[in-house]
Amino acid sequence: MMSETVQTAIPARRSQPLRPILMAGPAVLFLVVFFVWPLLDNGMRSFSTGDGGFTFSRYVSLLTDSFYLRVTAETVSLSAGVTVISVLIGYPVAYFLVRKSGRWAGVIIFLLIAPLLTSIIMRTFGWQVLFARRGLVNNLLVDHLGILSAPLRLTNSPEIAVAALVHVLVPFMVLSISTVLQGVDIRLEESAKILGAGRFRTFWEVTLPLSLDGIGTGAILVFMIANGSFVTLVLLGGGLQTLPLMIYQQFNTTRDFGMASAMSTILLVIAVFCLFLQLRLVRRRGA
Amino acid sequence: MRALDRDWVSIGLAAFVVLFFIFMLAPILVVVVVSFTSAGYVSFPIPGWSLKWFQNIFAYQPFIDALVVSLEVAVGATILSCLLGVPACLFLARSRAAWTNAVMTFLLSPLSMPMIVIGFASLFFLSWLGIGISFTALLITHTIVCLPYVIRTVAGVYGGIPPSYEEAAAILGANPFKVFWHVTLPLIRPGIMAGSLFSFLTSFDNLPISYFFGSSSTNTLPVVMLSYLEHQFDPTIAALSTLQLLMAVVALIVVDRIYGIDKMTVAG
Amino acid sequence: MTIITRRHFIGGSAAVGAGLITGGMPRFANAQAGEITVTAFGGVWEEAVRTCFAAPFEAKTKAKANVSLGGPPQWLAQVEAESANPPVDVLIMTPDLALTAAKADLVDDFTVEKLPNLAKIPQELTDSVMGKGTIFDYGVGGITFHKERVENAPKSFAEFVDRVADGEFVASVPSISYAVTPIMLIWAMANALGGGVNNVDPFFDAMAKMKDNLVFWAGPNDFFNHLSSGEAELGIYFDGRTWNHYDSGATWIDFLNPEEGGALNGVAVQKPKNADPLAWDYINEVLDAENQTKFADIMNYGVTNTDVVYSEKLKPRITPWQKTAFPPYEQIAEVRNEWVDRWNREIGR
Repeated sequence: MMSETVQTAIPARRSQPLRPILMAGPAVLFLVVFFVWPLLDNGMRSFSTGDGGFTFSRYVSLLTDSFYLRVTAETVSLSAGVTVISVLIGYPVAYFLVRKSGRWAGVIIFLLIAPLLTSIIMRTFGWQVLFARRGLVNNLLVDHLGILSAPLRLTNSPEIAVAALVHVLVPFMVLSISTVLQGVDIRLEESAKILGAGRFRTFWEVTLPLSLDGIGTGAILVFMIANGSFVTLVLLGGGLQTLPLMIYQQFNTTRDFGMASAMSTILLVIAVFCLFLQLRLVRRRGA
Repeated sequence: MRALDRDWVSIGLAAFVVLFFIFMLAPILVVVVVSFTSAGYVSFPIPGWSLKWFQNIFAYQPFIDALVVSLEVAVGATILSCLLGVPACLFLARSRAAWTNAVMTFLLSPLSMPMIVIGFASLFFLSWLGIGISFTALLITHTIVCLPYVIRTVAGVYGGIPPSYEEAAAILGANPFKVFWHVTLPLIRPGIMAGSLFSFLTSFDNLPISYFFGSSSTNTLPVVMLSYLEHQFDPTIAALSTLQLLMAVVALIVVDRIYGIDKMTVAG
Repeated sequence: MTIITRRHFIGGSAAVGAGLITGGMPRFANAQAGEITVTAFGGVWEEAVRTCFAAPFEAKTKAKANVSLGGPPQWLAQVEAESANPPVDVLIMTPDLALTAAKADLVDDFTVEKLPNLAKIPQELTDSVMGKGTIFDYGVGGITFHKERVENAPKSFAEFVDRVADGEFVASVPSISYAVTPIMLIWAMANALGGGVNNVDPFFDAMAKMKDNLVFWAGPNDFFNHLSSGEAELGIYFDGRTWNHYDSGATWIDFLNPEEGGALNGVAVQKPKNADPLAWDYINEVLDAENQTKFADIMNYGVTNTDVVYSEKLKPRITPWQKTAFPPYEQIAEVRNEWVDRWNREIGR
């Protein structure tokens, strides 16, 4: 890859020992104090028996009970599914935004962030108006076009929950890819074409590899946010049971903070593991 | 757009983008229409048009107060995130040390923690520190969840920039600060802008954290909206959403007039 | 009370550092004398609290009542986090959270010495939250339906279950993510169908029968979306919110209290330990007959002072609390988590 050859051509000499501490130190320290400490503090609740004793029972049931194992699997597969769909939908849009939109860029950016600026409750209402049993889509299909004889049960299905998650997360994907894509010199693509590569080969061998960092960023953001989100699932239902949803339930209905804390530990471990894998992948291929 | 591009691939791409935006906007459009309803409750289609719900926003002081708090927190947390995050990225994106990935993973990890847990744990921790329910507490907790966005987008952009640019400047005698200001910063600006945008939106829309720190002087807009919705469901909430969209349009136009959108974020 | 206020912040980020340092300093009593912080939901509720309770309180005591908007879980967490110096002086709670607060010893006992008007509140309502607070306003969880789409609506839970199971209509019931569901749905339906707090099998059997014709609402507004978008034709919902919706123009909506009695869903008022003693004066106003009458008129919910006489408009709408099913809140709290777990496994959404 281009950058690699340039990088190795010039000897790197940048190992003043103070720099890492000065540069990454404040951010790390900030999170250690205000993120890790409170969570560790709170995490103690997951081992507490309520009368001061110590127990692993919550973790044992989370890791052995087939119900919770299914919930954990569903959490990961939902996040992964939403991430893959977001890449597939988001990449073409990001490409269009960078290469083709011209003066329309501002409009497109606005359209992308519009869903994020609309209150989740109202957005859910929008979905229901469109996809309810007597909603606009069903009315169109049944009464006006006569394609269907009975209305589809679109809401309260896992599909609508996935669609709603993609709806709010795909902007993160598009903007992550486009920020990297715009740094890709268009002349590289043009020279590839001049050298006789077809449009798809140019894309596959030049554009796509150079924008992998953007896909990596987008995938990490989307995966992580999906992994921790529950409001969409609470409101749109769909029968999906995920860890964040269970955690919300512990806070809201049962007030079992010990269990909530144990669940969030499991969730964090999974997320950090997936994140670490993704970062290794991105780095190996991208750098 | 060149004539060469007007073939089926481009048409297909454009069609895909149009479909994409129909998907993105259809539910939002419903909300915008509802905000102009003359009915006394949320329903669609609407029986007639009216602006009364917009008047209602301004007639209800807590909405205005909370909107101001939300804007201040979102801007404050975004600035803090950039101050903490950008230097960390500059180092991490270039470092080849084995533990770099671990640090990067750590800095991004707040994203995957359900925010309700962060909010709850922070309330007890910050109360113990004596900064319980305060604007400071809001700022700190929002920065925790905003920081990862800035870090990831800036690292994503910076990682793709060859170090040769900065090194050339250094060889030509520029001091590290000048290198940063004249070379690095312009190169990573799109990343900072995208990260700040994500950060702002995340903070502005945040409910699960702000909820725990709510009081008459620290309630953010989502907290007041939730409390408002507990006992009434009138189209004021839709009007608020429309108003937020309008503010975004104005902000983007201002940015476009001053810098040009294309220079700011995307489409270089 | 806050260490650094928002306004200071605008001065610059230096204030943040300063706040972190001064934040460690001990803090003094909750605001200056003659000022308390009370709690309310937003919108109409807040306005009702201001005019019906805060105004008479301020007139009598010359003190000021600040109204903090939010929700019960938030206030309870805030009081738990800072019980020595609670940020709010009066709590508005759901009965189950009120019990949690009572059991954690976070709130004071209610007595007639401190609250003369408590004598006018039925004893059962004060007992239901262990005497550490009382219920001042209530709704009933019954059957709310779309008049134009439901002909002769089911009169009882039993009829509701049968007709939904037959597929005559789709029903919207509260989801397990909604805090009151164990009381207003699980217990109320089990109770109506011959079970009770120790036997909720009738409820789960009923849900299994209805499962193809159910949708779930996660928040009170969701339910209206279900009815207006045609996702459901009827459901289990509150009377007061139904009448509010009716009054705001949705004249197609109607409510009935099932024959077996819908669950009483109270709103409790409590005083955190270490809160400003002026809170007692405020709570006494909350329990006052005249103030409660006004409050009921605005909110369409029943109130609990026995001297209250409802207006003509309100009379047909309010179910006297004796005609509701009075939930054994304490016993429910003990088995609630098992119910939730069973719901997750059997109903799964």
